[in-house]
Amino acid sequence: MSQGALEGVKVLDLTHHIAGPYCTKLLADFGADVVKVERVEGDPARRFLPFFHDEIGPDNSLLFLYLNTNKQGVTLNLNTSQGLNMLKELARDSDVLVENFAPRVMPSLGLDYRSLSEINPSLVMVSISNFGQTGPYRDYKADDIVEYALGGLMYIFGSYDREPLKHALHQAQFKAGTNAASATLMALYHQRLTGQGQHVDLSIQESIASALRDVVNNYTNTGAVRRRQPNHSGDLTRIRQTSDGHILPNPGMGLGLDWKIVVDFLDAPELDGEKFNTPSARLANAEELGEILDRIFISKDKYDMYFAANEKRFTYGVIQSPKEVLGDEQLKHRGFFVEIDHPIVGPLTYPGAPFLMDGTPWDVKSPAPTLGQHNSAVFGDRLGIAVEELPRLRASEVI
Amino acid sequence: MPRSSNTAPPAPLNGVRIVEMGQLIAIPWAMKMLGDMGAQVIRMESCQRLESYRGDSVYLNDISGEFWNKGANFYEQNRNKLGITLDLSSEDGISILRQLVSISDVFVENFTPRVIKNFKLEYEDLRKIRPDIIMVSSTGYGYSGPWSGFGATGPATEGASGLAYTSGYADGPPSMPEIPYTDYTAGEHTVYAVMAALMHRLRTGQGQFIDISQTQTASATVPEALMEFAVNGRIQPRMGNQHPSKAPHGCYPCQGDDRWIAIAVGDDDQWQSLCGVLGKETWSKDPRFFQGLTRWDNRLDLDALVAEQTGKWEAHHLMSQLQAQGVPAGAVLDSKDLLFDPHLEERGFYEVVSHHPSTKIPPLPYASRPWKLAATPAVPGNAAPMMGEHNNLVLGELLCRSDAQLAELERNGVIGYAPVSPRPVQRPPLDEQVRQGRMQRYETDFQEKVSKAYPPTSERKYPQRPQ
Repeated sequence: MSQGALEGVKVLDLTHHIAGPYCTKLLADFGADVVKVERVEGDPARRFLPFFHDEIGPDNSLLFLYLNTNKQGVTLNLNTSQGLNMLKELARDSDVLVENFAPRVMPSLGLDYRSLSEINPSLVMVSISNFGQTGPYRDYKADDIVEYALGGLMYIFGSYDREPLKHALHQAQFKAGTNAASATLMALYHQRLTGQGQHVDLSIQESIASALRDVVNNYTNTGAVRRRQPNHSGDLTRIRQTSDGHILPNPGMGLGLDWKIVVDFLDAPELDGEKFNTPSARLANAEELGEILDRIFISKDKYDMYFAANEKRFTYGVIQSPKEVLGDEQLKHRGFFVEIDHPIVGPLTYPGAPFLMDGTPWDVKSPAPTLGQHNSAVFGDRLGIAVEELPRLRASEVI
Repeated sequence: MPRSSNTAPPAPLNGVRIVEMGQLIAIPWAMKMLGDMGAQVIRMESCQRLESYRGDSVYLNDISGEFWNKGANFYEQNRNKLGITLDLSSEDGISILRQLVSISDVFVENFTPRVIKNFKLEYEDLRKIRPDIIMVSSTGYGYSGPWSGFGATGPATEGASGLAYTSGYADGPPSMPEIPYTDYTAGEHTVYAVMAALMHRLRTGQGQFIDISQTQTASATVPEALMEFAVNGRIQPRMGNQHPSKAPHGCYPCQGDDRWIAIAVGDDDQWQSLCGVLGKETWSKDPRFFQGLTRWDNRLDLDALVAEQTGKWEAHHLMSQLQAQGVPAGAVLDSKDLLFDPHLEERGFYEVVSHHPSTKIPPLPYASRPWKLAATPAVPGNAAPMMGEHNNLVLGELLCRSDAQLAELERNGVIGYAPVSPRPVQRPPLDEQVRQGRMQRYETDFQEKVSKAYPPTSERKYPQRPQ
């Protein structure tokens, strides 16, 4: 049986919500041994939309179920000294501790990096936060939309004259979680070579701001400030409506564009001629071009057009609804969606491997834990706490 | 593996050598991140087929001279790499690349599988040369399957993944930002994939093949939408900036031309605070807005009322007033705001990189990384290589080609220092770009402002080479 890439890596997971759990999910899904520590009332993400059959319940959040595959779950009350001691004991024999509390929380619990490194000098501690562990915005509150705004992605997203947009759902959190998983392994690689642990400071705002292509360099190279979509509809790569949805045309890159081929492909003789056959002519007649393109595309089927374009090596894109993504032949061939059984909600369809590793494949060994599911296993195996002691810990609200 | 014992703290990936055959963003961005953290990244490119970013978005919009060494988008993705040129359609070119792979840890590429098969650079080919090689192929839809032959851009994978469909104004079409967003999603997962494979190799000595579908990496970040359909059979309509349960939650106008603030009220306390800061305590007594559920039901009315008030405020001032009361809020920063943002400045997020004097590009600030590793910081930033800049270093010192051999390779066009058929792309003048709306405005004194805020730091250095 093949092993995961991170076999033998022990992760103590103090994260909640989305960014932290996606980081530790990536670690767990590729073989790390992840112990998720939840507060006694559970990770608030257990109450995040959407729910299994629309019923609220601690194991019904589809997002929570997705984010916590392959983790063992324990509960600990870090506001009790015994809970805190148990956590420190777990940190003693862990390789990695990941947390995404507000920056003031860990030090206030006596769990700052310095204290933890005294317990375990090899420990890699990863702190994920909205704005990082330093700086004037350190204690600012944020959710995804605030990160889009302060990360610079929002200003360039949306129609020219309307309010800036963000992506739906929680993209900033997923970006940060991915980056945090990468940074964790960089620090761990160093740890494996030298035995040295360290503190990693991961900022969600900077996760957005480090992935903006030419937004900043337009200013540093020309003094220009990027805005949103152009204010005319003649843009050749604008999303267009088809008879059955939307398509993203892309009839060739830069100078590779041969207008005659585009006219032939679109079967649109009205686009032939000097009114549209050069970039400057197309700009001068942009609105008319946009109207003609709209008229052409609305009569087409998006998949027919997508496949026909790819025959010609035009890199068209097809805008797929969630239903279409689930039915996508390519993703089916790749085995992207997987069924995972869960003791409470049963077998459900989940998005699977983000990428394929042929030597150490992505794998699901267990579903997201129910609250405190592995208390006796983890506290017993790792801390030597007898099963008979657990009711007492529970009664004193430690677990 | 020996580690350096210099006084400067070591970068964590010192000693890792990566050969990159990348283009545009998905692979180049990811390798920049690994190069920043100490890996020696040798980027291979072609004089026969110019990388489009080399001639795109050039300094001062001036395409005269060696424009291929002035592309801002190229500099943005390729910091801390060594650059060589190779014509892979020649036998010498292929044999040099294979020799380079034989002394490297990782080979990465983002061409279509057709190209890699043509050049016989598939994993099965490479592991014969280097049994423990880690190979990464990053493609739009994956290396296998019915769509594997299709080329793709970031926007195409954003469309295929389900992300674009889900995003957009409530009354509008699917929408995406004006950058190839999912190229970065793929790049971020690529950094992680390479690190996971390096960890495995460190423990077992085994390499492997990593097949990255850029679409899959993006679909993995929209589980809410995909599982909502898979489990509940429902597709949520597009909601713009609205939140499925919080209100007010949106982007509201502020004083000035195209200035905005994002506000995300998460609970009743934050709601009371918002009303207080905006001087509208009466709102909090309005039965329409009394608690979360009623606020959400009446969110469109509420958005209109909030927008009326925010319009009286300067965005940064309102942000700090709201944050002081614990309300999540952020000014919508444009490109210039980012560069001069006091928080990013204090964290040293933008790092100054010097360019080769022949480019006449002054030292400029570039976005760094979202992480800080306290004990093993990134290496100082070296500008992306000019075309063929490290041919001598890599082919000569690393692969032991003599000067005479290098000269012959150059004579035969196997290596070179300029594109064979240079075709620059002239962008429209800035006032035209503003008229079209691609640009909000342009400033003529930007050079002075940038160099004052970001003075040059140090002399150009090469990344430390493995021992």
